[in-house]
Amino acid sequence: MLYLRSLLLISVMFISACADVFDDINPSGTDKRGDFDSSTIGSHPGETAADFSVFDTLNNTFLMSAELVGADAIVVYFTMWCPVCDSHMTHMRTNIIPDYPNVKFYFIDYVSGLVSVARASQLDNGYGTSDVLVDDSNHTVTDLYNATMGTTIVIDSNTIVQMNEDYKDGSKLKEVLDALP
Amino acid sequence: MKSFNRLSCINRQVFSGLLLGGSLIFNQSTLAASCCGGGGAATLVLPKFFDSMYDVSVGYEQYHGFWNQDGEHLNDPPGSDLNQFRITPGYAKRINDNWQASIVMPYVWNDNQYAGLSSNTNGLGDATLGFWYENFDDIKCVYAVNSIEDLTPAAYFGASLTVPTGVSPYDDVENSFDITGRGFYRLDANMLMDKTVFPWGLTLSFSYGVYLERDVNQEYGKYVEPYRRKLGNRASGSLGFSYSKTLEELDTLTYTITYAALKEDASTINGATDTTSGFDTQSVSIAVAYSTMAKDWIVRAAFNHLPTNDGLGSNFPATDTITIGVSYVIP
Repeated sequence: MLYLRSLLLISVMFISACADVFDDINPSGTDKRGDFDSSTIGSHPGETAADFSVFDTLNNTFLMSAELVGADAIVVYFTMWCPVCDSHMTHMRTNIIPDYPNVKFYFIDYVSGLVSVARASQLDNGYGTSDVLVDDSNHTVTDLYNATMGTTIVIDSNTIVQMNEDYKDGSKLKEVLDALP
Repeated sequence: MKSFNRLSCINRQVFSGLLLGGSLIFNQSTLAASCCGGGGAATLVLPKFFDSMYDVSVGYEQYHGFWNQDGEHLNDPPGSDLNQFRITPGYAKRINDNWQASIVMPYVWNDNQYAGLSSNTNGLGDATLGFWYENFDDIKCVYAVNSIEDLTPAAYFGASLTVPTGVSPYDDVENSFDITGRGFYRLDANMLMDKTVFPWGLTLSFSYGVYLERDVNQEYGKYVEPYRRKLGNRASGSLGFSYSKTLEELDTLTYTITYAALKEDASTINGATDTTSGFDTQSVSIAVAYSTMAKDWIVRAAFNHLPTNDGLGSNFPATDTITIGVSYVIP
């Protein structure tokens, strides 16, 4: 029993050194989202979206503010061409995109850095007909929106961020799109 | 000759537990993907008649694309090199003649290179606490089958708890490359069976795991509208064949080939099925283990391969894993 006690003690001390893991060991359901409004430029829902410019995989320039003209919103999904990403993108393409003809949907490759590499991944993964953007090697857009694999952002026609979180099962995205101003 | 075979059988019995435990490595290391995080750990199995065991294994997993939800294998992006390293210390202790307990806690390094991005992160993986009941009181390895009783296998029945000590998407982390765990508690019911007619052996394992539902209020360090999530139940099994060779000085060498399959159901979000989740996969592994006559030191190496053919997996990364482990067993 002495061995077990010692091991347990060492384990607890080891875990204690990594405070992050307590979010999983003792999960919280408390709503900790802050209050954000359009007076600030930022990436949180409610804030005014920062404009950005990137290339798409056909070497065309994409300017966010220009793409919003005449559209209800733009949706940008951050992909690294992984199984989770593919499941999300397939679901979005099949279950979401057809229902919102006046919303522009984009997948943004944030790991390739080069248009040619992103284009190859796009075609390898069967997304040749989709609009794919390429974040630059400085990860400008990814950093601007604190994005990572699966992050989905929605920016409405007033350039307000309406959503910035993981795609999950797509229900949140649908909810946000249905409630667009 | 009979005593020689008897000793060989005892050695083989010692091995069987360790190799059966090794077969679980596949089950537990799933979703250890560099993209998706999750450094898992196997449940240790203490050999029969021994008091305790220290174990450490080092694993290197390399990624070779993935299967999409339709089972089609797709390549990783051009110029990418995705790897995970794991070091997994563990300890097992006998509670009484038939019961044993163990703990393993991996440490994980994610090493991901893409054409336009490079990431090196590390952290604790998910820990596993295990309990086994040995449904046998003596050596079940035989060197000849003379009666129906000689066919009785060594059977282990157990339960394990995966504790989310790793870094998950629901922790305060910046991005997916930091992920080393899945973020959920999981309870598994485990069964291991081994029958050796020396020098040949047959091993069978089966596990069924249930994740506990949890609250989520942040994803990758961003607070979101709270929701409840539960990963899907998972079933896994493996079938292994082994051959043991007794060396000079009665040291033992055992070769094993194992086929394993794993399926995890879709997760739920606020009770609704998330159709983008769930996966299945299959693997083949070969392993070799060496034990001294005293059975105090055991060294093993294994190569685990997920064939990249279409239809052999879905929604899951394809990987090759090399694992080297050392056990010190105390009588």
